[in-house]
Amino acid sequence: MKKTLSNRFWLILLGVIVAGSALAAWLLLSRVPTGSIAAIYLDGELVERIDLAAVTESYTRTYTGKSGITDVVEVARGKIRVKEADCPDQVCVHQGWIETGVVPVVCLPNALVIQIEDGSAEPEIDGAVG
Amino acid sequence: MKRPLALSLAVLLLLSGCSSTEESTTIFAMDTVMTLTAYGSHAREGLSAAEAEINRLEKTLSVTREDSEVWAIDHSAGAPVTVGTDTAALLNAAAALGDRTGGALDVTLYPVVKAWGFTTGDYRIPDAEELADLLTRVDDHAVHMDGDTVTLPAGMELDFGALAKGYAGEQCASLLKEAGVTSAILNLGGNVQTVGAKPDGSPWRVAVQDPEGESEDYVGWLELTDEAAVTSGGYQRYFEENGVRYWHIIDPDTGAPARSGLLSATIVGKSGTACDGLSTGLFVLGPEKALDCWRQSDDFEAVLIGEDHTVQITAGLADRFTLREDSGYTLRIVEE
Repeated sequence: MKKTLSNRFWLILLGVIVAGSALAAWLLLSRVPTGSIAAIYLDGELVERIDLAAVTESYTRTYTGKSGITDVVEVARGKIRVKEADCPDQVCVHQGWIETGVVPVVCLPNALVIQIEDGSAEPEIDGAVG
Repeated sequence: MKRPLALSLAVLLLLSGCSSTEESTTIFAMDTVMTLTAYGSHAREGLSAAEAEINRLEKTLSVTREDSEVWAIDHSAGAPVTVGTDTAALLNAAAALGDRTGGALDVTLYPVVKAWGFTTGDYRIPDAEELADLLTRVDDHAVHMDGDTVTLPAGMELDFGALAKGYAGEQCASLLKEAGVTSAILNLGGNVQTVGAKPDGSPWRVAVQDPEGESEDYVGWLELTDEAAVTSGGYQRYFEENGVRYWHIIDPDTGAPARSGLLSATIVGKSGTACDGLSTGLFVLGPEKALDCWRQSDDFEAVLIGEDHTVQITAGLADRFTLREDSGYTLRIVEE
């Protein structure tokens, strides 16, 4: 009798652990990105997340921050850039397209940052100088 | 019965143990965007300290904030100004790096940089007469330091744009280590400072941008452990007029954008401040003099990308730099 109880206890424990492992595995695996997401921040706030893999036809969108400066952002399949900006230095426009997330596109005068999340730089790169 | 239990426990441990805690913060400061990433249980407190340090340094060293020490010096009209340890440390570093580069790095160039419009984006081309006049106000040997007192002759202006981010990275790395962080990477606007190695013990991989490509194109990558890497290049901040490109790195000899045969100079070393200043200085010097400076030094390595599409790396990077196969550049290893 005692032995049966003990067996049942271990069976339940095993069940809990297996279920827990499965849950953990599911949570971890579901974080794997299905495409590259561009996150757009304006004045430090996240204003939009765009799934670049789901873009079928390229389009532009404008962002005007507290500075009054306007950035024209072009979104294409798998990539994104600042196409035009009325900021004085044009550093953001010179940056061109980004697609892997090694570096964000930044328009400093307008406090606009475009960051690609879970990018797929090959090989894996942790940062960039330039 | 015991075996499946042990197995599922192992799976559970494996699943929960494979991710080291990662904390990240983004800061707008020093005219750039910085992303600081730290790992491990002390990451959060380390990053808070680093963020506070960057904001403090920005307040102290900004050339445009009216409450900064640099502003006080630039508007002193020749009167002595009392400064804190950071300004003093940077002035000492600037003097040493200025001498090591034969004056190619000069923190008193600010009046010239302003005249070209690089501080505001209102770009213009000053004529020879104007530049000659401005250059009479440029000379880092005229900065006088006595203890914590700085005297700058009237009409001159200094700024730490070529050093401050490197210094900030170095200071933040110390604070992160003090907080118990052993693994972190600080991206300070194209200027990278690493703390230790990656959480898995392998070196950080840091890409070196292709000066002729878009911002994501890179010629190759460096492997870094507990050190800084800083790049100066003519492609970062520039304007074009009548088909000519004018960039923000000015040669103190001419007062005009430095054209030395280099597209970019990347410096790797333990001191972020030295890397920052030397990247500017060596870009201005050009490939031959830059390598002379390297041969006379023992505190840095360099990646020099030339207009002839060669990537010269100094001997100490031979095992730590990988050229991308399809980069379009030729690699040359420079021996002592």
